[in-house]
Amino acid sequence: MSVALGIDLGTTNSVAAIATSTGVEFILGPRGDRVHPSVVAFPSSGGVVVGADAKRYRLTEPQHVIHSAKRFIGQNIRSPLVQLAMTGVRYKLVEGPNQQPIVVVRDRKMTMPEISSNVLLHLKRSAERQLGQPVKEAVITVPANFTDGQRQATKEAGRLAGLDVMRLINEPTAAALAHGFGRDRQELVCVFDFGGGTFDVSILRINNEMFEVLASDGDFFLGGDDLDRALAEVLAADFTRQLRVDPRPHAALMMKLMMGAEAIKCHLSENDAAEGEIDGLDLPGGVSGKLPFSVTRKQFEDLVGGYTQRTIEVTRQVMAAAGVSPRDIGDVLCVGGSTRIPVIRRKLAEVFGREPNHTINPDEVVAQGAAIQAGSLTATLSAGTGMGARDAVATAGHSSLATGNRTLPMGVAKRPVLLDVNPATLAVHTAGGFTERLLDKNAPIPIERTRVFTTARDNQQRVEIDCCRGENRKYVENEPLGTLVLEDLPAKARGDLKIEVSFRVDADGILHVRALDQQSGVRQEAHLQVLGAPSTSDSAAGAE
Amino acid sequence: MSVRSEALQWAQRICARTNPEPHQLLEIPADAGMEEAQEAFHKAARILHPDLHRTTLTPEDLEVVTTAYAKVAGAYQEFRSQRMTTTRMRPMHIGPTAAPAPRPIAPPTDGPIPTRTTPIPKSAHVVPETTPSAASSAMSSKALIYYRKAELALRRGDLRGAMLQLKMAIGADPASTFLRSALGEVEAEVAKQLK
Repeated sequence: MSVALGIDLGTTNSVAAIATSTGVEFILGPRGDRVHPSVVAFPSSGGVVVGADAKRYRLTEPQHVIHSAKRFIGQNIRSPLVQLAMTGVRYKLVEGPNQQPIVVVRDRKMTMPEISSNVLLHLKRSAERQLGQPVKEAVITVPANFTDGQRQATKEAGRLAGLDVMRLINEPTAAALAHGFGRDRQELVCVFDFGGGTFDVSILRINNEMFEVLASDGDFFLGGDDLDRALAEVLAADFTRQLRVDPRPHAALMMKLMMGAEAIKCHLSENDAAEGEIDGLDLPGGVSGKLPFSVTRKQFEDLVGGYTQRTIEVTRQVMAAAGVSPRDIGDVLCVGGSTRIPVIRRKLAEVFGREPNHTINPDEVVAQGAAIQAGSLTATLSAGTGMGARDAVATAGHSSLATGNRTLPMGVAKRPVLLDVNPATLAVHTAGGFTERLLDKNAPIPIERTRVFTTARDNQQRVEIDCCRGENRKYVENEPLGTLVLEDLPAKARGDLKIEVSFRVDADGILHVRALDQQSGVRQEAHLQVLGAPSTSDSAAGAE
Repeated sequence: MSVRSEALQWAQRICARTNPEPHQLLEIPADAGMEEAQEAFHKAARILHPDLHRTTLTPEDLEVVTTAYAKVAGAYQEFRSQRMTTTRMRPMHIGPTAAPAPRPIAPPTDGPIPTRTTPIPKSAHVVPETTPSAASSAMSSKALIYYRKAELALRRGDLRGAMLQLKMAIGADPASTFLRSALGEVEAEVAKQLK
């Protein structure tokens, strides 16, 4: 018998869990920790090192340590935001086929799915060791605002790790599932997910076993890393003043400052001020230097005020899109390590007029939800899972649940139904440079819609269907997704040809486009080859 | 009847329909309200959602159920956007153009010659078309352009965008009382949503 794993594949850390008859069991790392750093190192001594052990190489050989791969997976390397994110990493990225980012370590070239598959394989092997059973299937969580290309690339990473990815689910939805499963409640919840690299907000209506996302939005390039970087820049300025060397061109020095900034940030979540010094800074010329620092919580909050304000603005927008007001919200769930920052919780309390939920563990709740969904999809959930998972939530931070109870029969649970939403409006290019919307942002998925189009010219035998994502009425203002071509159409007067275009977004949030000439039956079908995504061989096109 | 065969029969019924109207896929009356549509969609989710059948149906049957559920979800989206258009457009008193968003089955109209070989949706020219209405006589032509943009924003359900465009319109034609009352109505709608 094999088990299905729930995986929260994060920007900085990953967590994996399985649903048991008494709750959720976490997969532990080599030192017994539930959190596995999403770091892959290719040390000079050879081999591949993943997780906590890989993190150690950050100081000695930063150019061989791949972290934050999630910021690049399935992205177009030419996108300005990706270019900006590239300035924050010390390893080498080059443009590969289909404009996808390629990691270069010494003479080795790897795609982003290949990098992430190392993290997934590490989790799979750890799980197999811990459970004594093979692990073949998984549910992987992704940010709600992940694009088609990012979702395809994440699935590809799972496939490369030898996992059958049954489903991708959105992180905020997973958190709501972990919170609400087995409770038989009716309430509206707001999930505020501020992690290491991404930011998402979702509003869900929980009605017993049904989890319906009403609206979701976020900012893909906003996370705890950005706060660290803002603070590291300040430290770098101090460094230049005090030690008369600009550390910014030196990768190892900046990495030290980033790590120092992260530690200061975490310290300030518990204390009003952080004072001390960062030592072991190796200056050019072989001398070792120290940088004293003194930062108050107020100073830090002012420094990152722009970022925190942005998260609150997005939260208000999502509530407006869902048609709910702050008073309707029954519970505010904080997910992701960055929600430990007091100013975030304070601002949320201002918006909602109530304190966010304190009982959930922001690092583990997403993996818990993924594990419950994995159990549901394999029909192995029991009533005890919900109760146990909630106990685990309440006592989060303590020891993992006993593995010995896994086979206790606890009755069959009502399987949760997740009604997730399409993250962005999807449309086709029409004459005059406009777009015609087929699927709306926040529409429930899986979803399919068909519209009938016609030709614009007499005897038009070829039609190109350009697909894009975005809200704008003008095609050029949106993000192009790809083009489907219908050829060898019968010669007809304009307007006489009827072409059916179907868009389907599957339960993973991935778009499939189909076009059909109603009379001749010329059919084209494709998974769009999204720029930045890994090449897929399963795109089928042909006439019938 | 087992849940499994009920789901499959329902799915086959939905997939058998050709060129269905949204209310037909939702299996509700044509004049049903939003609550009825939502209830119908939730019922479909509880019974048809493909996740519930993943381990019990054959791949072929699962595909039928998935397609049917996806079509019902598409119908729900269409139904919802039609209703939102009519209810939000009505207070603006703008006559014939306030009808629900044009449907793809509307008769084709002649448009400008396209510069490239993309298909035109039959409705594409209907949306921006300006028909004589209360709006055009109530403001200057420049203000009318902004007003049309506000209308489009409303159709998207983007109230803030509509407010912005209406303010631009008032900037272009400060004397128009029509525009001021329209802005007032949108502002009231926004305030209602924020409450």
